[in-house]
Amino acid sequence: MEQLKITVALIIAILLQWTLRNVAEPFVYIDFPLIIVVYAALQRNAIKALFYGTFAGIAVDALSGGLLGANGFSKTLIAYIVSEIVRRVYLDNLLLKIPVIAGACLLNNVVYYGMHRLLGQEPTGEFVPTIAYTIIGTTVVGTIIYLILDSFFAESVIKRRKREMFAPRRQTRRRNPIRLGNRR
Amino acid sequence: MIERSQKEVWKLTPWLMIALLLGNFILMAYSAKTASNQNLIRVWAQTTAKFVQSPITGVSSAVTNYFQSISSLGTAKSENDVLKQRVQELEVELQNRESLAVENVRLKSILELKEQSDYKRLPAQIIGRDPSAWFDTLIINRGSLDGVKLNMPVVTKGGLVGRVSAVSPLTAQIYLITREKVSEGGVIGELGTSNALGVVSGTGKKELLEMGYVPGSIEVQVGDSVYTTGQEGIYPAGLKIGEIVEVRSGSATVQHQIFIKPSANFSAMQEVAVLFYEPPPRPEYDKSLPNAVKKK
Repeated sequence: MEQLKITVALIIAILLQWTLRNVAEPFVYIDFPLIIVVYAALQRNAIKALFYGTFAGIAVDALSGGLLGANGFSKTLIAYIVSEIVRRVYLDNLLLKIPVIAGACLLNNVVYYGMHRLLGQEPTGEFVPTIAYTIIGTTVVGTIIYLILDSFFAESVIKRRKREMFAPRRQTRRRNPIRLGNRR
Repeated sequence: MIERSQKEVWKLTPWLMIALLLGNFILMAYSAKTASNQNLIRVWAQTTAKFVQSPITGVSSAVTNYFQSISSLGTAKSENDVLKQRVQELEVELQNRESLAVENVRLKSILELKEQSDYKRLPAQIIGRDPSAWFDTLIINRGSLDGVKLNMPVVTKGGLVGRVSAVSPLTAQIYLITREKVSEGGVIGELGTSNALGVVSGTGKKELLEMGYVPGSIEVQVGDSVYTTGQEGIYPAGLKIGEIVEVRSGSATVQHQIFIKPSANFSAMQEVAVLFYEPPPRPEYDKSLPNAVKKK
């Protein structure tokens, strides 16, 4: 059920990415699919996060003037890196997720730009301003979306995380030395 | 559904990542190799996206128009007076033009010049813009079912917009002229006053073009208009590209560096027109030269 919810969120994110730039230009600086891909990776579901990254990237590339697969490449890489980080570091606090989404956005744009340059295609946007605006837009909106998603998924996620993070304690009965003494 | 242990997932993930990255890289390499932006994934995605983009564009433009009409009510009275005066001026100008047109026809018949055929224009609405911040392509609501083909020129009332880069049955993708590169077939422009030729290409900045290869010995003024010549085999001759906003003067041996502001307002336009223009076939010897400036 939880995966279905994330899949629906990803599809909505792709549709928003396809349409919102025509409503207002600044919306282009928010990478909605990246926000959801990073969220999926933060849920410690690496395999699904990788597939989400590829699918969302190719869906965005299909309507873009860039190379088909460039976004798929960068988002798959981001999904893997985030899922590896979250395996080693506890990132369930929202404040800790903010630098993760900002870093993911920076890396995503650098990889995307680099792949185009590598294959002889020069993007039209200016490097520094485009990256700066995208990081600001994606981080701010991403934080709000994570708040909404966290409240949406709260119960099932918290239960599962507790189960994964803390192994059930063995209920062992300790002998109290004082009582032992009394027995004598 | 297969339940995998966390250890199995950790082992599987790197291999899956490598496979997916490789798949994406092959797609990218194929996309970079083919000159056209047309492929099956794009065609299907664009066709699917049309059903989402069209209603959202319709609603957003209706809301925008509603608020614009409210805000413009205040200035309607003074605007009406100005327009009435303008209509009178235009009527006088029209009479002059009519006499000039009659004279033009007479002179052409004397010189036996062939009349240039007017191209059919297909009006189209912009229903989508590039979802990536790095590119600025457009998506229009006309496709191959309406007769749109690859590389057809797209114009707006201001001037040249670009060309069709991918076509699906219901939509088409447009490359703006700001994207054209010298090495990929930049537009060959003609300066309005001197008739000097040069190659117009994108600068990497939005809404700014660069014109190169104009000899430094030719006088160039800021404010001069630049038109297409039709020599690159995509755009017909005589379409306005833009106006010169900056000239870095050259000398007898160094070419001018000219910057042009495009006539079309790319960020605000909502409607464009596709020109059903098919360039004249190139002679056999010319086919070996794909661009005005060959790739290095």
